[in-house]
Amino acid sequence: MGRYSDDPAWADIIPLPTDEGGPNPLAAIAYDDEYAEAMSYLRAVMAANEFSPRILDLTEDLIDMNPAHYTVWLYRAQCLFALKSDLHAELAWLNATALEHQKNYQIWHHRMLVVDVLDSCEGEREFVSRMFELDAKNYHVWSYRQWLVRRFGLWEQGELEFTRDLIEKDVRNNSAWNHRWYVVNGREEREEGEAGGVVGDAAVREREMEFAMQAIEKAPQNQSSWGYLRGIVRKAGLPLQGCKAFVQRFASLEQPDEVRSSYALDFMAEILAEEKGSEQQAALALDMLAQKYDPVRRNYWEYRKGLLGVDAVAA
Amino acid sequence: MAPIEAANIMEPCLDKTRHIKYWTRCIKTFLPHQYTSNDSNRMYLAFLMLSALDLLGVLTTTCSTEERRDYANWIYRCQHPRGGFRMWPGTDLGERANESNAKWDPANVPATYFALASLLILGDDFGRVRRKDTLRWLRRMQREDGSFGETHVDGQLAGGRDPRFGYCATGVRWMLRGSRKEGRLMVDGDQVEDINVDALVECIRNAESYDGGIADQSLHEPHAGYTFCSLGALRFMNRLPTSSTKPTDTRRAPSNPQEVIRWLAHRQTDLLDPDATQDSEFIGAHRIKNSQPVPPSQSATEPPPLTLHQSPDKSIITPFDLHTDGAAGMNGRPNKTADTCYAWWVGASLHILGQPALYNQQAMSRYLLDKTQHPVLGGFGKFPGDLPDLYHSCLGLAALALAGGGGDVKEVDAGMCVSKEASVRLEALWKRWDDEEISR
Repeated sequence: MGRYSDDPAWADIIPLPTDEGGPNPLAAIAYDDEYAEAMSYLRAVMAANEFSPRILDLTEDLIDMNPAHYTVWLYRAQCLFALKSDLHAELAWLNATALEHQKNYQIWHHRMLVVDVLDSCEGEREFVSRMFELDAKNYHVWSYRQWLVRRFGLWEQGELEFTRDLIEKDVRNNSAWNHRWYVVNGREEREEGEAGGVVGDAAVREREMEFAMQAIEKAPQNQSSWGYLRGIVRKAGLPLQGCKAFVQRFASLEQPDEVRSSYALDFMAEILAEEKGSEQQAALALDMLAQKYDPVRRNYWEYRKGLLGVDAVAA
Repeated sequence: MAPIEAANIMEPCLDKTRHIKYWTRCIKTFLPHQYTSNDSNRMYLAFLMLSALDLLGVLTTTCSTEERRDYANWIYRCQHPRGGFRMWPGTDLGERANESNAKWDPANVPATYFALASLLILGDDFGRVRRKDTLRWLRRMQREDGSFGETHVDGQLAGGRDPRFGYCATGVRWMLRGSRKEGRLMVDGDQVEDINVDALVECIRNAESYDGGIADQSLHEPHAGYTFCSLGALRFMNRLPTSSTKPTDTRRAPSNPQEVIRWLAHRQTDLLDPDATQDSEFIGAHRIKNSQPVPPSQSATEPPPLTLHQSPDKSIITPFDLHTDGAAGMNGRPNKTADTCYAWWVGASLHILGQPALYNQQAMSRYLLDKTQHPVLGGFGKFPGDLPDLYHSCLGLAALALAGGGGDVKEVDAGMCVSKEASVRLEALWKRWDDEEISR
């Protein structure tokens, strides 16, 4: 009457049911019978430390029903390596599983183990791109891509162009912006002491600032592109004034009704706060944010005004 | 027309009766089979149920003394003989357990945190907790780089390097060590070494992003959930910056709290529809000129005219208008849609940083009560119109409690997501342990 109990291949196994220990267990789930049965077989084979091909079938079945089971993945991995199984077949199965359980992170951890042993990332970036077609901001998938780049040294093998394409497709894809930061700056962090990235390499910095500015021209009200631009300036320790002419085109205090981006206005407030004697103007920019351009954050803008230390003067 | 207008300006409220019904059903009957994929997270589900019922003030009236005793017994049934807790009894091999298969039945870091927090909510005195074993086990869960793993199997520390595990580990340490100083501690007459606090702080500093948020690890995209876990861990370790902390002080984090606050404040958004491909921060000019509120029946089916949005160079900023709708939830990352759970992760983060007034609590409460509270079943869904689930229902409720809760919900501990009434009980436990060591 069960998938395993009726199968002669499993006839030697005495299933081991769960013992909840007493009445009123917490968070008990109305499992399907097939899940309860598969779990009782899993416990039995784990108790026997069995490593055999049928374990791959059983763990596959269970992972499909409960991909968050933290020891079943480890058990499967040990089994795969002990049996010297075909790891390419494993990846093919993982592809289908990842597409089905997009929010699960164990899948990606397991994939790292397998790809690390294979010592080849052939086809991996293509699969990851397929995942991005479903959700271009999937956090686990981006983490995996970043692992791939580092593990296989893919820094200069099309990753920058990849982020450019994704940002072209959706200029507000913050994950793609962050990946660009990773590709541009990640390598230097690995090779400690070596100058590079937006901090150490002026040419790279220019290129990246130009890239952000072009994206801002395209869509001025975009947190991701402004965040990228501001991040470069801050990390490189440059004076904010350097951006003033550019920022002014999107938020000028002289034209208070023509502000095209609240992020530009915020940036302008920071620039003015840094300038000597412009605190009143900075306060004005923050007032414009609080009252007109970003009132949902009114309390925050008032707080920022407080940090300027000009309240008494203004009153 | 007068009654309609009156209804429009009425603040939405917490339908407490329905929430109690929802949680009562969850805790007293089997969870539906859709939760099977979370079978290995049952301790976490248990925590969500107990915390929500406690926040609603009905845990002791909804569940009898016997039931609550059984719940505590079930949690202790998940305690590992060598310290720590399991997520559920499913890994225990029972009578067939032996030395060679013990590796398949490990204790789990988040399970241990949620087990202890659940016992605290139940008013348990931790009398059966293997405190010394658990604190020793916890040290083995930390990596060289300071990060924590999830579980230890066959000599391998499994799980990612993200701060979820660091949060849970430091929470366990906090509950079982109390507010004592760092370093070696006497437990039951034996010395117990501490975790490497400095290394975990360093790990968190490395994950601070260029735009102010905190990621799972260095150079990854910042995320509100990881930001909360990092700040929560720092609070548990008493390593948040003080007013005199310099950014270069590597013993504390975040290195620049103003940047984190700024990033958190920007998580609030009126981008509410997950299916909209456009960013509703932009609205076509004609919509602003005709800022007539869209009738509810129409807005449910037809999106407001956003065609200009598709052409970003023509788009302009939307003045957020509290008079027409005024709902703004929280997203987890820039340019993402609001989601119920981030009302907690973001709100609680700002509370931990001592800046509870820096988000718009009214607009956030409206988002939760008007958009994601389920009008029939109670609880909260992830997005407007979604069915409720345990995770979003508990975090939505806790987020409301942080924002005042309309006086209908208990005060919540922003660092732990349990009622302050529950977390304050720790002090008596810590005092008891101190007294025991002194009289030993």
